[in-house]
Amino acid sequence: MHEMSLVQALFTQLASLAADHDKHRVLTVTVAIGPLSGVVVDSFQFGFDILAAEHSLTKEAKLIIINPPATFQCLQCGHNQIAAVRPDSCPQCHETLLIAEGGDAIILNQVEME
Amino acid sequence: MCDSCGCDLTTNHHSHKTTAQVIDVHQSLLAANDAIAAGNKAHFEALGIVAINMISSPGSGKTTLLEKTIERLQGQIKIGVIEGDIETDRDAQRIRAKGVPVVQMTTGGACHLDAAQIHKGLHLLEQEPGGDQLDLLFIENVGNLVCPATFDLGEHQRVVLVSVPEGPDKPAKYPKAFISSQLFVITKTDLLPYFDFPVAEATADALHLNPRLQIMALSAVSGEGFEAWLDYLRDITKNQQG
Repeated sequence: MHEMSLVQALFTQLASLAADHDKHRVLTVTVAIGPLSGVVVDSFQFGFDILAAEHSLTKEAKLIIINPPATFQCLQCGHNQIAAVRPDSCPQCHETLLIAEGGDAIILNQVEME
Repeated sequence: MCDSCGCDLTTNHHSHKTTAQVIDVHQSLLAANDAIAAGNKAHFEALGIVAINMISSPGSGKTTLLEKTIERLQGQIKIGVIEGDIETDRDAQRIRAKGVPVVQMTTGGACHLDAAQIHKGLHLLEQEPGGDQLDLLFIENVGNLVCPATFDLGEHQRVVLVSVPEGPDKPAKYPKAFISSQLFVITKTDLLPYFDFPVAEATADALHLNPRLQIMALSAVSGEGFEAWLDYLRDITKNQQG
């Protein structure tokens, strides 16, 4: 349940953004969670709901999670395929060894505050 | 894109009151951890230390592997250990009995070590006898094949371990640990006659996830495959010092 640590990091960033921009209410939070990040989206949402209810800043905040895909590069021919789930093989040369690039990030993209 | 505020969201989900403002952040939730990890790495390098983050399930034999490694490298490589556990200092006691500097970080329930704990652990280790003159630092993470994989500690090498009794399906089931590691060690190979553990299957699954992964199989009890592990440790410490 390391998702809770990540949600705590998110709330630290939200508090600091609110202070920087002199805002008092977070309306929406957009977080990008890559398919290879090792984060369970439901657990992240669960942690968000619990912590959001504890602070007046985030009491009404809505969490929007987007899932950007990863790039899988073929070790043999270098062909790149973009996919949300690891493909079994390269569509061009059928090599099964593919190197994942990206897709492991957990990014706070945008915050709407007032 | 939303026409009113220019945000990424396409649904009619948010209000556009005059005081509302959309702020583009595009910062990792791990940014704070990663900044401390970068500091740890610089600290390791200033001290000439190679740091290894060891990740596995509970009971895969991390501590036993370390005990045997310390015995075998005595007088060759100066080793220190940071132990991560949820409770107790039992692992640190076992390592201390081998005569090397060790600190125990207890997470009090958290399922992984983070960079801030390693920063603190390294300073505590420097106060231990011999702890300020290390070549090689082992960080034995909390026994857990899931959560520790997300947190960079500033290590140079990440080693994921699976023991024979756990079964060969661990790389397929817990991909992140294998994608983010440089070395995969199969431990307890002395038990291969008693368990259904096709080494080739575990190896193929791990390479499918991470074609660059180095793989070795060993037993700390029988000593089988141990020389390759020691050579790997000699190599990475030599490169750092050179």
